[in-house]
Amino acid sequence: MWIERKVLAQEIPAAAALDTRQLCEVLAALGFPVDGVASLEGTESLDVDITANRGDAMSHRGIARELAAKLQQPLAPIATGVVPEGEALVQVRLEAEACPIYATAVLELGEGITPEAVQSFLRALEASPKRLSAVDASNELLLRYGHPTHAFDADAIRGAVSVRWAKAGETLATLDGVTRTLTERDLVIADEAGPIALAGVMGGDGTKVTEATRRVLLESAWFEPKVVRATARRHSLHTDASHRFGRGADPAMVRVARDLLVARLQAWCQAKLIGAWTAGAVPAPSAPVELGLALLARVAGEAVPLAAAQEALSRLGCVVTVAGDRLRVTPPSWRHDLSIAEDLAEEVLRLRGYEHIPSVLPPMEGPPEHLAPGYLQRQRVARRLAHLGFHQTVTYGFVSPEADALFASPDNPAAGRTLANPLGYEYSVLRASLLPSLKATAEQNLRQGSRQVQLFELAPTYRSTPSGPREQVTLATVWGGLLGGEDYLSPARAVLEADLAGLARDLALPGLPAIHRLSDGLFGFEIELDALPRLQDRIIPVFRPFSRFPTVERDLSLLVDLGQSYAALNQAMAAALPTDSLLELRCVDVFRHKSLPEGQQAWLLRMRFQADRTLVGDEVDGWVAAALAAAESLGAKLRA
Amino acid sequence: MDQLLPPEIVEAGRTFPAALAACSDLDALLRLKGAFVGREASHATRLMELLKTAPKEQKRELGAAINGLKQQWEEGLKARQAELEAAKRKLGALAATWDPALPPPQPPCGALHPLNRLMDRLVDVFRPLGFHVEEGPEVETEAHNFDGLNIPEDHPAKASSDTFYLAAHPELLLRTHTSPVQVRTLLRVTPELTARGGIRFLAPGRVYRKDEIDPTHSPMFHQVEGMLVGHGIGMQHLKGTLEYALRALFGPDTEIRLRPSYFPFVEPGCEVDVSCPLCGAQGCRVCKGSGWVEILGAGLIHPNVLTYAGIDPNEWSGWAFGMGVERMAMMLSQTPDLRLFFENDQRFLKAMGGLD
Repeated sequence: MWIERKVLAQEIPAAAALDTRQLCEVLAALGFPVDGVASLEGTESLDVDITANRGDAMSHRGIARELAAKLQQPLAPIATGVVPEGEALVQVRLEAEACPIYATAVLELGEGITPEAVQSFLRALEASPKRLSAVDASNELLLRYGHPTHAFDADAIRGAVSVRWAKAGETLATLDGVTRTLTERDLVIADEAGPIALAGVMGGDGTKVTEATRRVLLESAWFEPKVVRATARRHSLHTDASHRFGRGADPAMVRVARDLLVARLQAWCQAKLIGAWTAGAVPAPSAPVELGLALLARVAGEAVPLAAAQEALSRLGCVVTVAGDRLRVTPPSWRHDLSIAEDLAEEVLRLRGYEHIPSVLPPMEGPPEHLAPGYLQRQRVARRLAHLGFHQTVTYGFVSPEADALFASPDNPAAGRTLANPLGYEYSVLRASLLPSLKATAEQNLRQGSRQVQLFELAPTYRSTPSGPREQVTLATVWGGLLGGEDYLSPARAVLEADLAGLARDLALPGLPAIHRLSDGLFGFEIELDALPRLQDRIIPVFRPFSRFPTVERDLSLLVDLGQSYAALNQAMAAALPTDSLLELRCVDVFRHKSLPEGQQAWLLRMRFQADRTLVGDEVDGWVAAALAAAESLGAKLRA
Repeated sequence: MDQLLPPEIVEAGRTFPAALAACSDLDALLRLKGAFVGREASHATRLMELLKTAPKEQKRELGAAINGLKQQWEEGLKARQAELEAAKRKLGALAATWDPALPPPQPPCGALHPLNRLMDRLVDVFRPLGFHVEEGPEVETEAHNFDGLNIPEDHPAKASSDTFYLAAHPELLLRTHTSPVQVRTLLRVTPELTARGGIRFLAPGRVYRKDEIDPTHSPMFHQVEGMLVGHGIGMQHLKGTLEYALRALFGPDTEIRLRPSYFPFVEPGCEVDVSCPLCGAQGCRVCKGSGWVEILGAGLIHPNVLTYAGIDPNEWSGWAFGMGVERMAMMLSQTPDLRLFFENDQRFLKAMGGLD
């Protein structure tokens, strides 16, 4: 909120001696950082950040009170004239506990307008003066003392006034010109014809003060914060009044604010007081809160003398008595945020200054816990992929329904993963797959001129279940563009599916994942991270002896059909070979050329053998022949 | 002497040095060698025949002349051969080497995302103090995200204008902070809290708030939550831990400053500033001339949060902090636009991410 320096100094004269920087530092140390300083109307104003729990500080008086406590300087007295109370001119009935006190007055307005100084103050705080004294005075009081008030056109009110719960379906045209349908949970001010104001939120249009208004009925009351907040939210009607009442106004200010308002109208436009009266009473203060010496020392990090704590809390307006090693503290009527011992400890620390808190490392009370295997696994995979040339991406967890549908399996309906209130259609579904996001990111990189795009993401994907979306940490990679061709030793070629198959193997994936062709020359795959083998518990695996006898290598060049399954051929050949001597069987070259019979290709299969003895040529020849026979049984032929 | 020899041989002998020099390779030299000293039809064989038929009294003189010529040729040929062979070896050697300054094949080099790197770094910093990592789901219940954190029933953050809710499951939402991990973790460890001697952990992760995408807002961002529960924990322990961690992060000369603030799940609450790591607290654009940068929010765990998890706040106490990862990353890197972190341009990732 904007705090104007001259008016602040009227509330606490000592503040005038501080320069702006000093003032900002004191306020920040009290928990009210200043976000900016502005010069308007020839005066300086501070944009003070006030946390939601400190409704009491949301005024010049409130900030002054904090400064007075910190600086140990006096506040200026509030100058109220004496407003004699008398018989109620209009009956005010308080029918709901949410409004325990309602002070009012009726005045006959005379000639005159809002003083220039007040208009200037309002403009400096970006509140535009209305030149209607009753309205401007109410606004000025709010900004200065933090208590919202309201003025009705007294002649527009029919019969007695009551503060009551609205009847369901009742309507009220508020000052903003909107006709609102009320619920039984809305507190209203009503006359005998119906609601004339939403309590603590906004007045009604039918009873508003205009230039034609001759008599005003003033309202200064206290409304239950919860009720005001709920009504403001229900009607999406957030006003200065609802902001203050919603954070807890000071019930002790009800009469004071009414008196201040009366005095202003008398001074500004020769208003004549017809009568003033109050319905209800200031609610009793809540029970005192106890603050023990031990808790205070624990929170503060060092022993704080009880007397010092008592003194600090007294400066904040608390009534404090000492009972043994405890303080019994009754907070002032404006502080609704002091309800437990910790709240009081914070106040003591705040006034001493957080800079006095010592700095100590917390002692270990038990052994530290290990990092979880799943977490370590993700770190390991991310680092491996980064070393292999992949870039880790972070994309939004929600995508458009169309993008989601590209890779969502049919048993994972989007309905169970759809947001009720998305930022937009394109961000409305919690994604079933990371691939749509990575595809879009990769294509964007290629459009931006990347020769090769290598991306991966580790993030949850979602599966619809009856109890809600189930999260599964997922790894997706995409790879596309051109490999090599950027130096004299690496020939250029397009990225192929085989490159992703190699990557899957590098990550020790069990089996080959489904490799998707995402667009021309762009491939990707996705796996649930649980599919990866877990890290070994052992630092070093158990030693397995290996043969020191020489290996024997044999190649077979086979002609096979273009549609031949490699897995089937490999399996058949391996089955024909002795498992204890076969080290490796793999295709090391594929040859496709028009010189070969149509529909055929040549595969070069390499076998490596080793045993715990020197292998004999004849023996190996026999194995190779067996492997060839197995290949032939699948239609392969030895290539001449 | 020359009159004893046939004139064409004399002529050949005279041009021999030039012919030798003209041999640019070993093949040409071999041909020249054949023509002069070859075993058949060479100048040398012709001279030997001439010597055989020469008159006896001339033989001695002629023989000496012929030998001189042959020796001259053979020596010339040999020297030239050595020259040519050396040249060939040298070329061969050159052909087998490459100028190492030629652009070599580049080993692949990717990058971790800068936000992940920063979170990893924070974990590294807290590990020596005995902190481990706790994680929780991004789809959360209202209870974990709000109620367990002492956030009032009617808090504005619960509104659908601020928090994403699931259409088919109105009680589920996308967590708005990493704090529900506190609730989950405390609920889980409560029965064994005494046996394990309290708990201390970090909770890094993604969170969601309904903010329009612009240079300083994103509907998804990252936080790192820290929490410690033990006996007799006060603000001094929060300050001590953060001083250690932020110095490890920003350098040993870093100063920290606690300012009172308010979060429903802590009491007392504070904002924590560090002396500006970019200008050494001299005042710059990043710290807006103040020398301080706001880095995180923290405080002592509110007794209601402990009670919700079944922990007796009279026995146990603790602190918690929450830090915005993007905010810190933008501050440290002076990246002007938050959207760059989610755009994932490889140039940005390579430059900002790195490997470790």
